[in-house]
Amino acid sequence: MSHPHTPVSSRNLPPIPGPLSAEIRGQILALLPRYPSKQAVTLPALHLVQDSVRCVPNWAVEEIADILDLSPAEVHDTMSFYGFFRTEADRLGVKRLWVCRSLACSLRGADELLEKTAALLGVPVGGTTADGTITLELAECLGACEGAPACMIDDEHVHDISDMTKMTELVTRLKQSSANKH
Amino acid sequence: MSAYEPVLLRRLGKKECQSIAGYRADGGYKTLERVLREMTPDQVTTQVKDSGLRGRGGAGFPTGLKWTFLPKGHPGPVYLCVNCDESEPCTFNNRVLIENDPHQVIEGIILASYAIRAKTAYFYVRYEYGFGTRQIQKAIDEAYEAGILGNKILGTDYSLDIFVHRGAAAYICGEETGLIESLEGKRAWPRIKPPFPAIEGAFRKPTIVNNPETLANVVHIMDRGIEWFKSLGVPPDPKNPRDAGSYGPKLYCVSGHVNKPGIVELPMGVTLRELVDKHGGGVWKGRKAKGAIPGGNSMGVIPESEFDIPLDFNGPGTVKALGLGTAAVTVFDEETSIVDVLYNLCRFFAHESCGQCTPCREGTGWMLKIVERIRNGQGRREDLDILEEVADRIGIMPGTTICGLADGAGWPVKTAIRKFRPEFESYLKEGTRGGVRLKMAGAH
Amino acid sequence: MATVLVNDIPVDIGDEKLNCIQAAERAGVTIPHYCWHPALSVVASCRMCLVMVGEKKPDGTVAMQPKVVPGCQTPVKDGTVIQTLDPKSTGAQQSTLESLLLNHPLDCPVCDKAGECLLQDYSFQFGKATSRMVDEKNTPPNKPNIGPNISLFTDRCIMCSRCVRFTREVAGTAELHVVQRGNHSEIDVFPGHPIDNKLASNVVDLCPVGALASNDFLYKQRVWNLKTVKSVCTGCSTGCSINLDTNKSVVYRLRPRFNPRAQGHFMCDEGRLGYHNVNSALRFTKPLERTNSGTQAIDWQQSVAKIDQSVRSAAQTDAGKIWFVLSPFLTTEEAWLLASYARSISPFCRIVSGPVPSHGVDDNYPKDRKGNPSTNPVKFTIRAEKCPNRRGIEAVVAHFQKSPATFADLLAACDRGEVAVAFVTSGYSTAFPAWGTETAERLGKAGFLIVHDMLPSALSDAAAIVIPAAAFSEKDGTYINHAGLAQTTEAGCVPQRGARTDGQIYLDLLGRRGLVRAIEIRKEIGKAVPALAALATGELGEHGVFVTARA
Repeated sequence: MSHPHTPVSSRNLPPIPGPLSAEIRGQILALLPRYPSKQAVTLPALHLVQDSVRCVPNWAVEEIADILDLSPAEVHDTMSFYGFFRTEADRLGVKRLWVCRSLACSLRGADELLEKTAALLGVPVGGTTADGTITLELAECLGACEGAPACMIDDEHVHDISDMTKMTELVTRLKQSSANKH
Repeated sequence: MSAYEPVLLRRLGKKECQSIAGYRADGGYKTLERVLREMTPDQVTTQVKDSGLRGRGGAGFPTGLKWTFLPKGHPGPVYLCVNCDESEPCTFNNRVLIENDPHQVIEGIILASYAIRAKTAYFYVRYEYGFGTRQIQKAIDEAYEAGILGNKILGTDYSLDIFVHRGAAAYICGEETGLIESLEGKRAWPRIKPPFPAIEGAFRKPTIVNNPETLANVVHIMDRGIEWFKSLGVPPDPKNPRDAGSYGPKLYCVSGHVNKPGIVELPMGVTLRELVDKHGGGVWKGRKAKGAIPGGNSMGVIPESEFDIPLDFNGPGTVKALGLGTAAVTVFDEETSIVDVLYNLCRFFAHESCGQCTPCREGTGWMLKIVERIRNGQGRREDLDILEEVADRIGIMPGTTICGLADGAGWPVKTAIRKFRPEFESYLKEGTRGGVRLKMAGAH
Repeated sequence: MATVLVNDIPVDIGDEKLNCIQAAERAGVTIPHYCWHPALSVVASCRMCLVMVGEKKPDGTVAMQPKVVPGCQTPVKDGTVIQTLDPKSTGAQQSTLESLLLNHPLDCPVCDKAGECLLQDYSFQFGKATSRMVDEKNTPPNKPNIGPNISLFTDRCIMCSRCVRFTREVAGTAELHVVQRGNHSEIDVFPGHPIDNKLASNVVDLCPVGALASNDFLYKQRVWNLKTVKSVCTGCSTGCSINLDTNKSVVYRLRPRFNPRAQGHFMCDEGRLGYHNVNSALRFTKPLERTNSGTQAIDWQQSVAKIDQSVRSAAQTDAGKIWFVLSPFLTTEEAWLLASYARSISPFCRIVSGPVPSHGVDDNYPKDRKGNPSTNPVKFTIRAEKCPNRRGIEAVVAHFQKSPATFADLLAACDRGEVAVAFVTSGYSTAFPAWGTETAERLGKAGFLIVHDMLPSALSDAAAIVIPAAAFSEKDGTYINHAGLAQTTEAGCVPQRGARTDGQIYLDLLGRRGLVRAIEIRKEIGKAVPALAALATGELGEHGVFVTARA
């Protein structure tokens, strides 16, 4: 889990300008009728923002709070609980590479894989490569145990990353596709 | 026993198994149509109750009985929350269902919603199931288009909306009231009970929380009937007056040090040994198993000598494991250090404790620190006693926490120490590892 | 009638809805607890109040539940049996305490809470003597100034979440929240949104440990050196019951004192931090007389004699030109004595109520999340009327002044040059003054202006005689709040450097012998004034008495 006060890596990135785009705001508002309380839109709104700018900047927390009649602290309370949403200082790279360390994966070498991947990328777990392409994460269990050791790119599983050759291939592929998007 | 024909997974791998066209071609939604036209909600509840179906999420609570806890004649709204958080480590049965046969799950959702008179169902799915989420969303969209969801389903008076709600990678959201809090946009701190969700759940309204596999079973109970369902599985253990039997098919996950990790559908009651040897292809590298977790991390650890237990709701308890859990078996071989296994398990629970109740918040952290220190060769004899004591004292069972996460955190510790104590003791004495060290990065 | 058995002690709880903690308290048994607070929602998360509970059946047998339950979450009914001394109860309590101390820094020597800390108290009463933790503790960073008045010592926090619930449920503005989860959970504010609501500092009182500290009090005193008396906040007409903490006659802290008849459990920051003028170095300490060459200090006997002389000589000409202004900051007893003095001079002396400072409108809590008024049931009100005793003063004035006169009449009379002597009592808060320089100038036109006040002002500059007033913390007396609740306040300090209480001066003016005793005056008032008959008992109790039937 990342700590809000101590970013894992500071890359001196330019600030992300607010406010929320009309599109994101519209998507958030469109979710309101689904739930009997506005607060229930917190998690979907956080997802929408992070999907769009790879983090949830403080101004976005304030805007979400404003839309949902909450205090910014309440939105951040929920946001920080999951250890999933990133602050602006700690924003995600183009791709988020998760390495699972559950028992099923660890028994098949996941801890070593995670350690070596961190070395390969030159970042600590939670950190983002200097070129901004990949953020390395650990996962407690991806639910992909038949493909242990398993990884996940953003939210898609990749099975059987059983050694560093496969991991290196995966990283190379990610860097290439990220470079195109970057 | 003749080879069992899968029911829940029967369409797995078939062409068009994911689309509504394929599902309907296989007879899908016919049960729903018949039920909506011919049965009352209470009749559905009674049939599910009489089938003996018990929840597949971990606790094994009788599903139909849970539905009857809803207040009678409540003006509504009543909600169904589908618990597809499935964060119990080494468990992926619901993922397989929603990725491969989402309409089967949707049919189950509609049947259950009809039975409990819900007009809205929330499909809470863990973030890590991106593909499955898209599959279920696509299937929901198809169902709306086909008039199977929305207003006046299949021309009947029954209407239902299903909304997909994505989680954000927190284990505790699988606890039903943690899920409800998360759904409501709060931190997923489980609620104090009573009131139970059936009385006061999502948005303070009566709510039923069910697991996708459970709901998929409902389809077949309504289709094939109670007798069929009860013909599978195991009747109540006469030696255990609290056992309500383990009927029906079950999805078993096998992972860890086996040759063929995967999922298999079998009638309840297969032995752990058969699951490992036959369906998991045996232990890898020609080695022997040292032990296994019988149903997800929370259930504890058992040695190979106890592999003959049946994996039904009663079986694991007979060897003092916590229970069947999610029926996800993870095997570790004889080369593996039990200290490393326990370290992994403790690390998980320390990371996933929600932090609400003191005994769990502090206990999981402390147990991890102790096990980590033991693993690093600085263990003391008294550490094992402290671990056992802390593990015994946290959880719903001793009454010290709000939810069962702490029980799940305690059982691996106490079972590991009680069942593998000599190995821990020699580890403490020798300061070396008996098996191959799993290199694990430091927690957090 | 419902009877609960607490450790075999029967307690009749009538038809009250109580939990185990409350029922046990009635039996004099403490069930330790942190997260539960009667004014906040129940979360049952600290697990300190775990007890064994059962039921006594009609046939006399007792069926105990097999495991401990949280006392805060468990309601009691007729026949409920609570066993706090059962080994399962004490074991669970010990275990929870051990857990809470695992990551606690045990820095009691430098902690403000030491001496009034529930971790210390419960450890002593229910805990173990030693810790079995040999591993490193978590050391989250401290967060100074999470609000203008509050700092968070993060590592001392036991995550009871009382503070978070307070900002959500009572203040309404929800500035505090929990961040992270599990063993790494912390309390925090969101960047740019400090906890600065007007009720904020209540979280310091609510904090059962030394995590939340008041910046105002931080490192000023060890609490065991403080002397605590029961007092009443003078900041507004809510009249919050408070504990006044002093040491060597210096006020260090005000804390709310629970009073269901007044304000409940809390108080506002305005009131809490409004005591500083009490300790001001600018306060008058000696009577002052204006002479042609400026002001000079005179002694008390002289001042009393001069006041009496000027009043009596004016009365010989026209007592109707002598005015007494009773400030709503006076206690009822003081007002009674001064008014009695006025009447002893002449039935024609005029007695008026001093101006009532009012600021904005009544400020109700909880607010909505954006700080605007909400439609939720009101849990706390900061009143627009910024004085403690308008109703007490009005009752006294009404008793003595049959033909009503007002402060405005006095000003008009000053303007016409028809005031021979004006005796103006003040004591107003500098934050909400009752008059500006213009009013002071008009009062200055009185032939002889006597000002009784604590601090120099334009009014005291215009006075012929200034007598130092005592602060609320220095006197005993009675205030009657907006709802007619009469509460007594107790002196926690002696008046500064030889000063005297207001009541003593008025007693001297009256020529009554001895020392002023508020309780005797109170009885006197109660007997004499039908509207204040409720004061006749003298002792008004911890929660005060209503002088009139409640509206």
